[in-house]
Amino acid sequence: MLMPKKVKFRKQQRGRMCGKAWRGSELSFGDYGLKVMECGYITDRQIEASRVAMTRFIKRGGKIWLRLFPDKPVTKKPAETRMGKGKGAPDHWVAVVRPGKVLFEMEGVTPEMAQEAMRLAAHKLPLKTKFVQRHDVKVTVAAK
Amino acid sequence: MIAQEVVTATPREGKFNKNAARRVRVAGKIPAVVYGAAEPSVAIAVDPKQIQRILHSESGHNSIFDLEIAGSPAKTKAMIVDWQYEPIKGTLMHIDLKRIALDKAIRVEVPIQLTGTPVGVKTQGGILDQVLREVEIECLPGDIPSHIDVDVSNLAFGDVLRVADLPHTGSLKFVSDENSTVAHVIAVKEEAAPAAEAAAAPAEPEVVKKGKQETAEAPADKGGKK
Repeated sequence: MLMPKKVKFRKQQRGRMCGKAWRGSELSFGDYGLKVMECGYITDRQIEASRVAMTRFIKRGGKIWLRLFPDKPVTKKPAETRMGKGKGAPDHWVAVVRPGKVLFEMEGVTPEMAQEAMRLAAHKLPLKTKFVQRHDVKVTVAAK
Repeated sequence: MIAQEVVTATPREGKFNKNAARRVRVAGKIPAVVYGAAEPSVAIAVDPKQIQRILHSESGHNSIFDLEIAGSPAKTKAMIVDWQYEPIKGTLMHIDLKRIALDKAIRVEVPIQLTGTPVGVKTQGGILDQVLREVEIECLPGDIPSHIDVDVSNLAFGDVLRVADLPHTGSLKFVSDENSTVAHVIAVKEEAAPAAEAAAAPAEPEVVKKGKQETAEAPADKGGKK
C-alpha cells in the first residue's frame, strides 16, 4: 500500500476540508482523467484497488498516472476499549481530496476504453466522480 | 493565426474586488483584463461563450482577434494569454488579454500533434508517451501555426523525439530547450507480484527525530579543545 517513507509526527488531527481543489484540477499528463466532485478521504487501499482495476482493464495498452498520495495517518482505538487513555494507534493512511481534484490520468487508449477503466476505478472510491478528457483528444487518439 | 472574430467588451467601473467580479459573472459575463503594447491596463467584462469558442477553435488560445471596447474609438488586435476555469463546473472565471503589435515578434506556446503509429508500438510492443504537449516558439503574430504536426511512424522502441527534431520553417524559432523530450516509446510496466510487495513494506514510516542530530565528530571536537 502507498504510505510516506518518513514523517515528522506519527499522528495528526483531522483538520478541515472546506473549499475547492484550485490546484491539481486540470489534466496535466494524460488525455483522460477522473475528477472527484466532493470532498473526503480516500484510503490507501481504495487507491490501490482503483489502480489495479484500471491496470487490469487496459492490460498492456496505456499509461496511468496517480495524482493523489495518502499522506495523512488515521488512528483507531482497539475494539472494546474504554474511552480515554489517549489517542489510538495509526491504522491506515488517507489522501484528503477536495472537489475538482483530478485523481487519475490515462493515456494511450481509446476514449471508450478509458471511460470504462475510469468507471471501474470509480466504483472502488467512496466519493462522486466524473470522467474528464481534453477537448482536442480525438486528434491525439487517432494518431496512436 | 489571425481570426475574423470581433470580441466586444464593456469596461468595468467602480471596485475590482471579489464581490464586483461575482456580480459580473451573475450578469452572464466574465471579468477580464487587457494590457500590453505600452498602454495602461483596462478592466473589462466579456462574453464567456465567445471566449470559449475562441479557446476551442483550431488555433486555440493563439488566435488573434479584434477587441472592441465600448466607449473607445478604435479596435485593437488582442490575444488570450491566460485563463482560469472553475474546478467543478468547468466554466471560465477570468481571462487575460494582451494587445498585439503585428510587426513585433512574440513568444507563444503551440500544441504538438503526433501523427502515425510508431514502429515501436506496432511491432515492438511499447507504448507512445507524449511528454511535451506544447512548445514555446518566437515568431511574428501572423506566422503563428495552429499546431505543429510530427510524423512518429519511424519512432522505434527507446527512440526519443526532441524539440530540435520538430519540423519548422525559418520564420519561427524554438524558445524551449532543444534537447527537451517531446515523445518516446517506452516499455509497458508489468504488474509486480502483490505478495512480495506486501511482505517488504514496513508497518509504519520512520519518524524524524526532534532536536539537533549528534554526529560522531562533535564529541571528538569538544575533547580536543579541553
